[in-house]
Amino acid sequence: MKSIVLAESLQEVQNVDFSAATTALERLEKLQLPTKKTEEYRYFDIEKYLSKAYTYIKPEKQPIEEGSFVEIVNGIVVRAPKDLEIVYAKERKIDDAHFDALYYLGHLLSPEVIEICCKNDTKIKILHRYTQANALIAYRVVVTTAPNIAVSISESFIGCDANESLVLYGCDVHLQRDARFEFIKDETLVTGIYTPIHSHFIELQEQSSANFFSFDFGNADGLQLIKAKLMHASSFNANHLLYAKGEGKRGTVSQIVHAAKDARSSQKAKNILGEKARGIFDALIKIEPEGGGTKAYQNSQAVLLNDGAYMASKPQLEIYIDDVEASHGSTIGELDEQQLFYLRSRGIVLEEARKMLILAFANEIIDAIEDERTKESVHLSFENVYYGQGQLECIATCHNCSDAILREES
Amino acid sequence: MSNMVEIKNLHANIGDKHILKGLDLALESGKVHVIMGPNGAGKSTLSKAIVGHYDITVKDGEILYKGENIIDEEPEIRALKGIFLSFQNPVEVPGVSNAYFLRTAVNAKRVFEGKEELNAAEFLREAKALATELGMKPELIARSLNEGFSGGEKKRNETLQMLMLEPDFIILDEIDSGLDIDALRAVSEGINKIKDGKRTFLIITHYSRILDYVKPDYVHVLKDGQIVKTAGPELVAELEEKGYTTLEES
Repeated sequence: MKSIVLAESLQEVQNVDFSAATTALERLEKLQLPTKKTEEYRYFDIEKYLSKAYTYIKPEKQPIEEGSFVEIVNGIVVRAPKDLEIVYAKERKIDDAHFDALYYLGHLLSPEVIEICCKNDTKIKILHRYTQANALIAYRVVVTTAPNIAVSISESFIGCDANESLVLYGCDVHLQRDARFEFIKDETLVTGIYTPIHSHFIELQEQSSANFFSFDFGNADGLQLIKAKLMHASSFNANHLLYAKGEGKRGTVSQIVHAAKDARSSQKAKNILGEKARGIFDALIKIEPEGGGTKAYQNSQAVLLNDGAYMASKPQLEIYIDDVEASHGSTIGELDEQQLFYLRSRGIVLEEARKMLILAFANEIIDAIEDERTKESVHLSFENVYYGQGQLECIATCHNCSDAILREES
Repeated sequence: MSNMVEIKNLHANIGDKHILKGLDLALESGKVHVIMGPNGAGKSTLSKAIVGHYDITVKDGEILYKGENIIDEEPEIRALKGIFLSFQNPVEVPGVSNAYFLRTAVNAKRVFEGKEELNAAEFLREAKALATELGMKPELIARSLNEGFSGGEKKRNETLQMLMLEPDFIILDEIDSGLDIDALRAVSEGINKIKDGKRTFLIITHYSRILDYVKPDYVHVLKDGQIVKTAGPELVAELEEKGYTTLEES
C-alpha cells in the first residue's frame, strides 16, 4: 500500500503490461485527467476527488469461496457460484474511443480484470463491498456472452466502512450476436462513505439487445459514465432513476453510438431532487454515417422538490445521416398540481400526497424490472432513502399482490 | 328541516374572470339537489369552490358546511369533514395503485373520525365487494389510479371512492357524462345505495337521464354565476322543453 494523489497517478500506470495498455495510455494522455473544465465532468466536482491523497490498494487475489452470488470486496472476488466461469485476466478488449479518461485510468490501474464468461443463460447477483477508508479502489469487470443466450446481472453496493474512499469501477460488456443482456444497478450513497465513478462500455453485436437499469439514491456524490456501441439491428434500452438529496451531485453521462444499420436505442431518465442536490443527465445519442434506418429516443424528466435543488439536463442528438428516426426531450418541474389536488380532495394531507406522487414517479422505472424479487428489492432501496426506512406495505408498490393478501387471509 | 350547506353571496374568480357573482344556495340535509344550467354558467366553478380547488379564488361570501365557514380550510380537511366531489374528468395518476390510494384515503378519514384503520385484507375485501356491485373489473383496483381507464370505468371508480369514504355531502359533477346505459344504471345504483336520508347530494348535470334513476328533491338553475330559480323535480321537464333562455329569476 502507498499513498497516492490521483492527479499524479499516471506514473503508477507506466509499467502495466497487457496488450491494450498502450492504447489506454495514449487515450488517457490525449483526454487528460478530468478537470472542472472537462465537459463530461462539468457538473460534478471531480477535482475535489482527484486532488486528494488516497491509500492505493493493489488488488491481491485470494481463493474464491462458493456462494449463491458473486461478492467482490475492494475489487477482489471472494465468493461466487460454483457453476459461474469467473477468472482474472490480464488481457482484455477495450474500447479505443471511449469519451471518459477515467475509463482508461480504471483499466490501467487494474493489472487484471475480473472476467465473467457466460456460455449459457445466466442470472448473476453481484455484491460489491468496500471496507477500506481513504482508499483508491480501482477494478474492472468484463462480461462476455456466447451468441443467442440471455444474461442478467443485478448489482448492489455496500461501503459503510469505506469512508472518503474513491472507487473507479466499471464493466466492459461484449454481447455476441443475438445475445440478450440485462444490467441492474442499485446503489444508495450516504455522505462520508465512498464516492463511486462507474465507467462502462457495452458493445452490442448484431441483433443483440441490452436493458440497462440504474437506481442511484442517496445524499452523496457519484457519477456513472456509460458508452454503448450498437451494431447492426441491435437494441439498447437505458432506464435511470435518480433520487438525490442533501448536497449530493449525482447522475449519468452517456454516449449511445449507433454504428451500424437498423439499431434501436431508448433512454429514459427520471430524476427526483431534494434539498440542495444536483442531478446530472448529460446524454448524447450519436448516429454514425453507417447507422441508416436506426431509431433513437431519449427523454429526461426531473422533479425538483424544493428551491435549492438543481437539475443539469443535457440531452443531445448528433446525427450524420438522413435516414433515421430520432427524438429527445427534457422536462424539469414540480409535482403535477392536478394530481396533488385529486389526492388531497380525498382527505390525503399534502405531505402524504406529495410522497405518493414521488413514489409514482419513481415506480414507472422500477416497475419496468421484470424479475419480481429484484423489483421489490429496488422498491425497498428507494423507500429506505425516501421515507428514511422501508415502511410501506407491498400494497403501495406491488400492483399484483392484492389477491395474494386475500388468499393468505382466507 | 335543516340545511347541511348554506352558500351566501359567493363571488369567485378563475384567474381574472369573475364566474360566481353573489351566489346564494341552501342545501337541505338528506335531500338530493340538482343544479342545471347552460354552459359557462359556473356549475363546475361552484363545485370546485366548495372543495377548495386551487383554480378558484373566492373573493367574497361564505360557504357554511354544518354551520361552519369552510372557505379557509385546506381541501383535505374539507374532505375529512365529509365533503366529496366526484370529478367530471378524474385525473390519471400513473404509478399510484388504486388500492393504495383508496386505502390511504379511507384510513385517513377513519383516523380523523377516531376509528381504527382498516388492514390491507379488510380493505381489499370491502373494496372488491363494492367494485363487483358497481360492475367494475376487480383488476382495476390493483391498477394505477385511473390510468388507462375508460370514461365509464373512471366514473365507476369515483363512485367506488364515494361508497368507501362514506361522505356526508356528495357533489357529483356530470357523473353521467360519457356513460352508456349499463354504466349509468350501475353508477346510479351506487348513489342510491348510499342515500340514507341523512346525506346530502348536489348533482350537477346537463341531462335529465340520470334523474330517471336518482330522484331529486330540488332543482336549482344556475345562470351567469347566480341561482336564478329553485323548484321541485317538475322543473326538469320544463327545462327540457323550454331551455334556459325563457327562465325568469325566481
